[in-house]
Amino acid sequence: MNKYRMCIIPPYPLENVQLLKDRVIFPYACFCLFGTSLQIVTQSTGDYPYLSYLDGADLISLPQQGSHMENAIRYLSEHKEEIDLLFLFGARGEYIDLALTYKSLRPDGIIYLKLDTNIDWANALPLYHKPFADFLQSCDIISCETRRLQSFLYKKWRRPVEYIPNGVYYPLYPEAAGVRFEDKENIILTVGRIGTFQKNSLLLLYAFALTFVELKEPWELVMVGSVTPEFQADYDDFCKRFPLLAPHIHLPGNITDKKVLYQYYKRAKIFALSSRAEGGSPNVFSEAAIFGCTVVTTEVDAAPDMTDNGRVGRISVGTEDFDAFAKELTALCQNPVYLAHNFEAMRTYIKEFFDYERLADRLRILVDLQMQKRRPS
Amino acid sequence: MKINVTDARIALEEGEEIFPLLEKPKLPDYSNVTARPHFSYYYTKEETVWERLCFCMEKLPALCPDDPYLGCYALMFSQLYPLLLSTNQAKNIIAYGPPTDCGAYRAFQDFMTFLQEGSSLTALAQSPFSFTALTKNFCHALLYRLDTCPAPAAVCDAVERVKTGGLILLYTVHNTLPAELGFLSEKAKKNCFGSCTVYTLIMDESLFAFALANSSEAFILSRAEELERRTNDLQGLIQAILSDAALSEDTYFVTTLILQQTEEILLSIYDYLENAALPILTNALKEAVLNYFVGIRSHFDLTTYRERLVQSSKHFFSSMEEEFL
Repeated sequence: MNKYRMCIIPPYPLENVQLLKDRVIFPYACFCLFGTSLQIVTQSTGDYPYLSYLDGADLISLPQQGSHMENAIRYLSEHKEEIDLLFLFGARGEYIDLALTYKSLRPDGIIYLKLDTNIDWANALPLYHKPFADFLQSCDIISCETRRLQSFLYKKWRRPVEYIPNGVYYPLYPEAAGVRFEDKENIILTVGRIGTFQKNSLLLLYAFALTFVELKEPWELVMVGSVTPEFQADYDDFCKRFPLLAPHIHLPGNITDKKVLYQYYKRAKIFALSSRAEGGSPNVFSEAAIFGCTVVTTEVDAAPDMTDNGRVGRISVGTEDFDAFAKELTALCQNPVYLAHNFEAMRTYIKEFFDYERLADRLRILVDLQMQKRRPS
Repeated sequence: MKINVTDARIALEEGEEIFPLLEKPKLPDYSNVTARPHFSYYYTKEETVWERLCFCMEKLPALCPDDPYLGCYALMFSQLYPLLLSTNQAKNIIAYGPPTDCGAYRAFQDFMTFLQEGSSLTALAQSPFSFTALTKNFCHALLYRLDTCPAPAAVCDAVERVKTGGLILLYTVHNTLPAELGFLSEKAKKNCFGSCTVYTLIMDESLFAFALANSSEAFILSRAEELERRTNDLQGLIQAILSDAALSEDTYFVTTLILQQTEEILLSIYDYLENAALPILTNALKEAVLNYFVGIRSHFDLTTYRERLVQSSKHFFSSMEEEFL
């Protein structure tokens, strides 16, 4: 088994919360599986208490003078021998010089680029700009987060792009192990920045109203996350117009304590995602899925992946159709047998195809093959 | 660089350097078998071939302002001149490289129509695909700008379109031919002036054989053969994987490697695929093999991974069969 010295260089300085997000967690899962070292190279933006979750990783603080990327290139030049596998995050122009420098100093080294993008963004990338095209060319392995995007990129880039979704690093979720369907309640949960254009929260609010009147049993809608003033006004207006529904809709605000948040996932039977767009499958989806919530989602890029093409969840056509979303929501709420069965099906699906440790193992084989190609036969 | 046109001679000039392109013959030129006299009329007074040539050559710089290929156009005009005058058949010329509204083309077409109505210069779009739509061995001359697409397969695709005895003019401002086209440069007559170079070839059997062997059609056929070989190998490997026999890790590595190669070959002929989803189907099979391998290595439940492997391999093999067999 080959082991590699690994390095993450983000396109701009990392914040503490990002240590537990995809850009760091997936490389960390790789490090745990086939790394001898992991350097996280960044200009500091403050304290990094979450580093305590990443046992064995080194955070290298770049000097504050000069730009993050200039300092990163200097660091990479000075430590090239300590980096066999370089993790980059996002197809960003900021990486052009960095990738070029690394490849010129370590032609035997491997660059893995996790795209973190959606179709709109990928479509706007300047492929005609030679330095940018050269940067993409210099990446040995590129992965994207949704199958729909992968299909698009094959047509547009005409190069192999792997499908590696935003996944779950199970050691961060010990609470998910003991969850039981019997403990769940008639709760529809959503988590995100409530009221932003992207999250399209009004769709969920009104779809819930349409659903509520169809149901024999009462259901609750819980919308967790910071709330925009515009949405707060809409919500207040909604409550005045529909006073009977008001007690069944809850806005608990932003929850920073993960243990409290996980309690909501544990209690909810359904997780609703009403977004207009997402850059891959959102982290909240993975979290909901490991707690056995059945997902109903608008037609974002990752919808077929999140629901295994509708097998373990429901996809509402488009992103603006209140009736369609309500119809899917109603069908789920009225089908307790499916929800109970899907509790296990969803958890199994997410474990089999979104577990970062399994995905890292897949990447490891691809990295080994790249290494083999470089060796004289 | 300028084109100096006098009643007796046409030449390219740059500083002190002069490159004579054409001289007006002193005696009647009986190689001119077009309807129009070369430089004098009996009975009527109309524009002669030489006068029209001078007019078109003089127009070239104005039609191609600041064009670094001006010298190439003038050199090619002088090479085309004897061909255009050689018979009174309508001539069919194809031109590839510059934009289709290139001014030089207008000058060429003007002169060709003057000599023989129905003669045509077809300016092709800047895509190597332009040639695959044309019949082989059908045109009298080819003007090919190497700097637009130096890919040997594209050059050979273009060369194949020229009929035996026809003229092939390859031009560049970089003074070199791609190494793979060495055979052509050995056979070609090379004219250089300033930064402009024109390689002139007459189509014959050996040239046609070379073009045929190096054309995109030959490339696709050889790729298709490689794909067939790999597909057969993959069939055996996937069968072995699904047979539940104890296999070494190398089997999975080799399978993945062959799938990667298949994916790359398919992408290299992407423009010609009937089913453009083939590369991604290959990737899906690779992913299924890797998931299955990870499952075996870590002793996971293989039921779903196996189902997906069966599913994606069926899809892959049937699609490959439909495309290539």
